[in-house]
Amino acid sequence: MREICFYLAGAGAVFFSALMLFQRGLYAGAACLLGALLQVGVLLYLAGSPLVGFLQVVIYAGGVMALIVVAVMSAPADDRDAAMWGVFSVPRPLVAGSVLLLGVELALACAGGGAPGAVGATGALDKTLGNVLFGPYALATEAAALLLFVAALALVSGPQRRAR
Amino acid sequence: MAVPVSVYLLFLAPTAALLVSFFFLRPYKPGWTHLPILASCAVVSGSAIDLAAKVYTGWSLDQTMGLWMAAGNWSVSFGVRIDGLSSAVLAMVAVVGALIHVYAAGYMKEDPAFPRFFLSFHLFYLSMIGMLVSNNFVQFYLFWEGVGLCSFLLIGFWTHKPAARAASLQAFVTNRVGDFAFLVAIFILLKTYGDTSFGRVFELMAYGGGPLLALVGLLLFVAAASKSAQFPLYFWLPDAMEGPTPVSALMHAATMVTAGIFLLARAWPLVAFVPGLPHLIAAVGGGTAVFAGLLACGQTDLKRILAYSTVSHLGLMALALGLGRVGIAVLHLIMHGFFKAVLFLCAGNIAHGLGKSAADISETGGLRKSMPLTMACFTAGALSLAGFWPTAGFFSKDGIIEAALEAGPGWLAMALAAAALGGFYISRMLFLAFFGPSPEQKPGRCHEAPACMAVPVGFLALAALTAGGLSHGIGALLGIGRLSSEESLALAHFSWPVFGLGTSAAVAGLGLAWFATMARPSFDWTWRRRLPWLQALVASDFGWRKVVALVASACWGLAEWIGGFLDHRTWDGLIEGSVPASVALGGTLSLKSGRLGDYLWWILTGTAVLLAAVLL
Amino acid sequence: MTPAVQVGLALFGLGLAAVALRGRLLAMLLGLELMIAGVTVILTYQAGVFGDPAGLAAVVLIIAVAAAEAVVGLCLILRLHHAGLSGEASSLSELRE
Repeated sequence: MREICFYLAGAGAVFFSALMLFQRGLYAGAACLLGALLQVGVLLYLAGSPLVGFLQVVIYAGGVMALIVVAVMSAPADDRDAAMWGVFSVPRPLVAGSVLLLGVELALACAGGGAPGAVGATGALDKTLGNVLFGPYALATEAAALLLFVAALALVSGPQRRAR
Repeated sequence: MAVPVSVYLLFLAPTAALLVSFFFLRPYKPGWTHLPILASCAVVSGSAIDLAAKVYTGWSLDQTMGLWMAAGNWSVSFGVRIDGLSSAVLAMVAVVGALIHVYAAGYMKEDPAFPRFFLSFHLFYLSMIGMLVSNNFVQFYLFWEGVGLCSFLLIGFWTHKPAARAASLQAFVTNRVGDFAFLVAIFILLKTYGDTSFGRVFELMAYGGGPLLALVGLLLFVAAASKSAQFPLYFWLPDAMEGPTPVSALMHAATMVTAGIFLLARAWPLVAFVPGLPHLIAAVGGGTAVFAGLLACGQTDLKRILAYSTVSHLGLMALALGLGRVGIAVLHLIMHGFFKAVLFLCAGNIAHGLGKSAADISETGGLRKSMPLTMACFTAGALSLAGFWPTAGFFSKDGIIEAALEAGPGWLAMALAAAALGGFYISRMLFLAFFGPSPEQKPGRCHEAPACMAVPVGFLALAALTAGGLSHGIGALLGIGRLSSEESLALAHFSWPVFGLGTSAAVAGLGLAWFATMARPSFDWTWRRRLPWLQALVASDFGWRKVVALVASACWGLAEWIGGFLDHRTWDGLIEGSVPASVALGGTLSLKSGRLGDYLWWILTGTAVLLAAVLL
Repeated sequence: MTPAVQVGLALFGLGLAAVALRGRLLAMLLGLELMIAGVTVILTYQAGVFGDPAGLAAVVLIIAVAAAEAVVGLCLILRLHHAGLSGEASSLSELRE
């Protein structure tokens, strides 16, 4: 059961991201990304950590996507004139080819590793997460918290500065 | 073996004189530059005679004084070789050179570049002496180049005359051909034997040489032919008369041009070892003698007549050498030095008396009244050149005729023709200049030479007459310290047939000259009017000058092509074009395009490459 | 290579393609988020495989930092708009020559 769910979620995530890649408009792209991130949340839940899945859905698919949508809204509406694909000095297929090559190499690098089975242990690690976060990685946790605070400040004061 | 003081004086005296004159006298007292130089001439002459006397008693010296350079299995060192050959020629060069230095002190007195003249002249003297006493090919070549350099400096001495500049360049470039041949020969010797000293080379040569040795011999002959004005490369010598008369007298008559003959005489064991080479030398020499003799008959400038005569006599020396008679060739070299110097100095006296730098035969005539001393000396020189007994020239010329007689009828014909022509042209010059009607000029305008110039001429004329008496002594001298075999160094023995042949050839020439000049006084210029094609033919050396001009212009064109096309456009273009090429290349390969996408792409590509390197 | 790693790699690759190929900066940002999502998938899965909670800790920190980074990036893009430049990557070319 979990496996089928996993495969579905995986297929959904990949589908939505491919869709996002080929969307012309930003709203549509953001919507596709939202779908992909929700599927990723499911994947994370199924991969063995419900907490992390929950965090992904709440913070990422919720907060970050909201930010992105707000930014898309405040950007000037010039969807039709904007170029969808980037301007390069080298031919575009070459750029796509290099991306593909990188992807293939990464796949080769990861090949032949890991235990079979799509699903990992359930929830046992979550209990020790708190110990790890505030134990060996306490400094990192504090730094991340500070970073979030500063980001919030930027969000609050940045546009205000502009408006003035 | 102890080296006598005279040997050191040979080098030290001229060097000291040159240094003193150049650094002290030339800047402060230019009128005195000739004094240390004349003193050094006296010292050198004394040393040369002293050495000749020593060698006459049987002593000889072949000493290495110090190492010059060495690498691998070859080495070159400084050394002196005093044997019969070098001391005989050295004595002649030193004495004649000293006398001409005295003459030049009077001749060049009013010239503003007087110090430069004397310094160059004495440098030449030093180089010539160094060449004569060298004991190996490389040192010989060093001084050979030294005399070539001084020839260049002195022919073009009057730098304001374009003809002089052109003539000095021509002389230098033509000699360069020979110098190149000499250099290649030295390289071959160094490679093959590792040592170029005469004794060593001739020793090692006996173990077999093969084609390389033949090449060396041929190259040495080419070098001698360019320096001693043999047929293909002789044309620089008549043009070299642009230089002042003392230069013509010393360098281009008595000493420098004989350097080639001296080289062949020195290297005789090698030359004789190569089959066929002596015959080549004799053929070229004989041909040159007749060719130049013919041309001398038609010249009008006094010094040019003597220049072609020098070429002819050098041909005779080469003929004698090629027929195997080294001793006769060297004897003729020495005697020729005496009488040719007299003749040149008398021509200089005439020019000086007329107040010009060169005299044409049409401006002279009847000078025996106003220049009796010069006439006497000239007659002495002329008799010697023609080869009348008992002058100096008789002994050497008879030797050549005897050698030709023994060698075959063709050679004899060449030698006799050269002798007859010699009689003709010098008698023509004598009659036209000193006898006959004088051209329209104010009486008393052509004055006799001052004492400073007359005395050396007188001494040389005396030598031209009496040096024949020394011929036995010279013959004995040549045999000492010899490198060549006894027969080749032997001098001629007196024989009536040879005497008859030689004297009758000279008399025939003289008679013809009398007929052409005194009996018919206007003949000398009327034939030029009546037969202009013959005049043109003679003026262009029977067409050879045109050939040389063609070759020279071809070389010039080649040099211009190399300079203009290869050097300027190709090489410079390559270098200068590398700048726009780099800029263009940089433009196409530029990583800095300002586009974010490009930078991202470079990051991705770089990572992909690194990953590929890691994975593979 | 297990399916989880495959999915994670696919998400990463697609996000990379979006960053590399898209012309608009906001589209590039979306791709960036996708890349981070892919990485978190792989990390969580491997944490479960090895039984090491450090992986989960890393994921939590990554999510936090990614949120901050999204904030800063969006602020920058808005600044760009306020400065009058268009929202395309090719408009950021002031350093060129």
